Order: sequence, then C-alpha cells, then structure tokens
Amino acid sequence: MEASKLISFFEEDLCIFHLRSRKKISALTEIVHHLALQKRISDERFILDMLKNRENLGSTGLGNGVAFPHGRSLAIKELTVLFARSAAGVDFEALDGKPTHVFFLILAPSDKGSETYLAILSELIGLIQKPAKLKALNETVDFPSLVGIFEGKDD
Amino acid sequence: MKDEHRLLIALQDLDIMIKEVKDKATSKELEDLGFKLTGLSVLQEARTKLASAVPKTLLNRYEKLAEHYTVAILPVSGSRCLGCFVKLPTSFFSSASRVELQTCENCGRLLYIP
Ligand SMILES: [Zn+2]
Repeated sequence: MEASKLISFFEEDLCIFHLRSRKKISALTEIVHHLALQKRISDERFILDMLKNRENLGSTGLGNGVAFPHGRSLAIKELTVLFARSAAGVDFEALDGKPTHVFFLILAPSDKGSETYLAILSELIGLIQKPAKLKALNETVDFPSLVGIFEGKDD
Repeated sequence: MKDEHRLLIALQDLDIMIKEVKDKATSKELEDLGFKLTGLSVLQEARTKLASAVPKTLLNRYEKLAEHYTVAILPVSGSRCLGCFVKLPTSFFSSASRVELQTCENCGRLLYIP
C-alpha cells in the first residue's frame, strides 16, 4: 500500500490531537464518544464493548508508545480509521508496560472480512518501525503535519 | 430496541471476534504483526455469560443462522434486508414491527428497524 493510499483512510474530523484520558477504558470511551459525535457509529455501547473484548483478548498496545485498537462491529457502516495522540501518555497496559502516546483505531463493518483492516494495520505497524516517523507521530498536533508524516516529509 | 436484541447484537460482535481468533490464517497474521492473542478463554467466558442472558428460543434462532451467516442479525436499511438485499413488504414497517425482531422471508436473517 502506498503512503497516499494509507493517508486516504484518515480524516481531519477523526483525529484527536489532545486526548484527555490517562487510563485504558476512559481513553477508549473518549475515542468512541468522539466517533459518535462525528456520527460515524450507530451505537457507542456496542463499539466500546467490542473494543474492551478485544483488549481482553490481548492488549493492542504493542509497545513503543503506540496502540492499535481494532475490530468489527454491526455498529459501524464503513471502514473507519481514527488517530489519537496523548502528550502525557495513557496507561494502556501495553506489552512493554510503557505509556501509550499514539493511537490508531481501526473499525470495520461486521459483514466485511478481517482482511479489510489487517492490511491497514500492517502498513501502520510498518510505519512506526521507522524512528523518525514514530517521533513525528508523537509530536503531531494538526492534520497537515499528520499528512506530512505519511507523505514522507519527515524523513 | 429491546434489551434482548441489544444482547444479541453484542453477542454477534463477540462471535465474529472469536471466529477471527480461531481462524488460523487471521490469528497468525495478527501474531506476526506483534499482537499477543492470549485471552481467548476470557472471550469465551464472556460469550457464555452474554448468551445466558438471551432468551433461549431467540438464542437458538440466532445460533442456527450464525452457522450459515457471519451476520445473522442486522438492521433494515432503505426498506431492504442488508443480508440478501431483497425489498421488504410494507407490513414490515407497521408500528408493532418496530419493536419486535422480524425475519427476512428470503434469507431468514433476524432484522430490526433502527
Ligand atoms: Zn434477507
């Protein structure tokens, strides 16, 4: 997947550059509420329950300060990607035990297969392996700079 | 929407997740990406608890459908069943129908009016 294709999944309305919550469940709740305010989901409860179940399967906080909450639900109509950032960090029970600063939430409709979100996950995980990109993601505070990271301007 | 219908939708979301973890190709892909999928038993416990709260006959209907369809319960949209896309009769949208779950006569899926 090319960077331009990857960035096409992001929307300015679906970016939270200053996440307030500091704990896992409250962070997920804040993110899901944002999706509801932007009218992207039909029901907050279903999405939150699904994401909590997903975390019970194993934390999506992969370490290095980045988490990838994801899953499929009847309450989402189309593939949706949300970016969130917390300067202070969230205790997201990450695999390395460190605070999480960057979140990529990926939601897919239940009638679509897992491959719809796996491809995006894979690209994003590849991206954060690059130290310069990861640093830039930690520092981004607006949509143009986020787009810039995907377009390679921060290399 | 009735509570039991909400439970069923939550159950379906959970079933889809469990199915993904049990699918070897999907779980391998996730593990290769770095995810640790160690909590399947926790999901299965949650599934048992959720299922026990759904009335038995409704649960049976759902589980039978779920054997054939990934999505066994779904909302009506634009007067169509989104499972098989057949157009639904106007009787579907009477006031009584707005509360109860209905069945698509074409594919059998459980439908609700959102
Ligand atoms: Zn149908």
